[in-house]
Amino acid sequence: MAEEFEPKIIAFLCKWCSSAGSDLAGVSRMKYPPNVVPITVMCSGSVSPLYIFNAFQKGADGVLVSGCHPGDCHYIQGNFYARRRIALVKELIEYIGLEPQRFKMSWVSAAEGKKYTQIIQDFVQELKPLGPQKKLRREK
Amino acid sequence: MVNLEEIKKEAKKILEEGKVKYIIGYAKSSKALMAAPAFVKKPEDIDKLIWDPTCFQNLVKFLLDEKRKKAREKEPDTRPVGIFVKGCDSRAINVLLQEKFITREDVYIMGLSCEDLGVLDEKKIFKKLKGEKPEKIEFDQRKNIVISTKEKTIKIPLKEILAERCLECTSSFPVISDVFWGDRNNRSPKEPFKSLEQIESLSQEEKWDFWQQQLSKCIRCYACRSVCPMCYCDECVVDSINLAITADTTAEEKAQKIKWIEKSPESSENFGYHLVRAMHLAGRCIDCSECERVCPVDIPIRFLNKKLEKVAKELFDYKAGLDPEQPSLVSSFKDEDPEDFIR
Repeated sequence: MAEEFEPKIIAFLCKWCSSAGSDLAGVSRMKYPPNVVPITVMCSGSVSPLYIFNAFQKGADGVLVSGCHPGDCHYIQGNFYARRRIALVKELIEYIGLEPQRFKMSWVSAAEGKKYTQIIQDFVQELKPLGPQKKLRREK
Repeated sequence: MVNLEEIKKEAKKILEEGKVKYIIGYAKSSKALMAAPAFVKKPEDIDKLIWDPTCFQNLVKFLLDEKRKKAREKEPDTRPVGIFVKGCDSRAINVLLQEKFITREDVYIMGLSCEDLGVLDEKKIFKKLKGEKPEKIEFDQRKNIVISTKEKTIKIPLKEILAERCLECTSSFPVISDVFWGDRNNRSPKEPFKSLEQIESLSQEEKWDFWQQQLSKCIRCYACRSVCPMCYCDECVVDSINLAITADTTAEEKAQKIKWIEKSPESSENFGYHLVRAMHLAGRCIDCSECERVCPVDIPIRFLNKKLEKVAKELFDYKAGLDPEQPSLVSSFKDEDPEDFIR
């Protein structure tokens, strides 16, 4: 029997909320799919569109950017900038014909371990029928 | 109506008074359909200046060179540079002012209104000529263009061969200027983003096929970057050759420089380059379409930038280059920005 496709997700989590949220999920021993590679960044506002495109180029099947809820940013307004920028990236990747389901943004606070696991579970479920992302992937 | 004689008179006056260092304008070139940029330093050279729909270049790019040149000189001439601007070019100046790359004292803006017309699209004309070489052109009453080739003379209505951007232009007059010619009639095209529909109406796979086909043509000559008035970084993220290297840069630093995008013109790298360029121009691109004009392999680059212009307008009610005081698109936010895509 052929093995089921397991998508690889790159998650850019902000240090102050989402990363702590994923940590909470871990220390609380909540179960969620192991498909995600978390990368801690200082703020969701520091995620350059280049990081996202590069993740896809290096073969990510899905990319998640997660930050603090609006108003809770450690740097006061970083996630507001992120919200604008990510909206542009989202429109752009949809426009060039990449599946829009492959890119997500979420707000996860340090107390929302449960929400984090739910987001990852749903993301994996959505990515499975799409198959591997080959469009932007580097050939070598 | 813009009267060329009045422009020349003003140009002569400011050169004689020494108000400006030189004037960047347009002159006749060896090609019939294209004006050449002209740098007029002496009042007696004033007669070579022209103004007609063949003046499609965006001269603002030369202000960037001027700034760099000034930075290298020991005792720079601090007088402003006179520059001819159309509506779109004036917005480019506004963006440069907004980003504080140049100051208002650096330029003496000579605004020219395109009025109800615009500029020519060479590629459209070449299609109509079917391979014949234009020898001479004339404009007939601002309605038609009369093109003579070796064999024949044809008359084409100007509306048919205007650049796509001019047909969708919402402000055909300079929004910032020191002197101004022409009228300030706002045009309001019914659908300013009409040309995008041909891509937006495609299905997701068709969109991918379209862009895949277009962008895999790219040979990464960076002509689009070289001609863009907004691409002024000394160090470009997409291209690892032009690192800002000083005498103090160590070998280790050079080696550790991250190569985000490889140089090879492969599909994936080309997508990386064009997506990054589109993002860098979001809220800054003023739709002068120079990138598309200079592209040697005819990639419709304008569609990428125009799309983000549309998104900025629809989601954030932002239009680039209208006001040098407004904060830039990605360095500002509003509380009510949409977030329905965020979980």
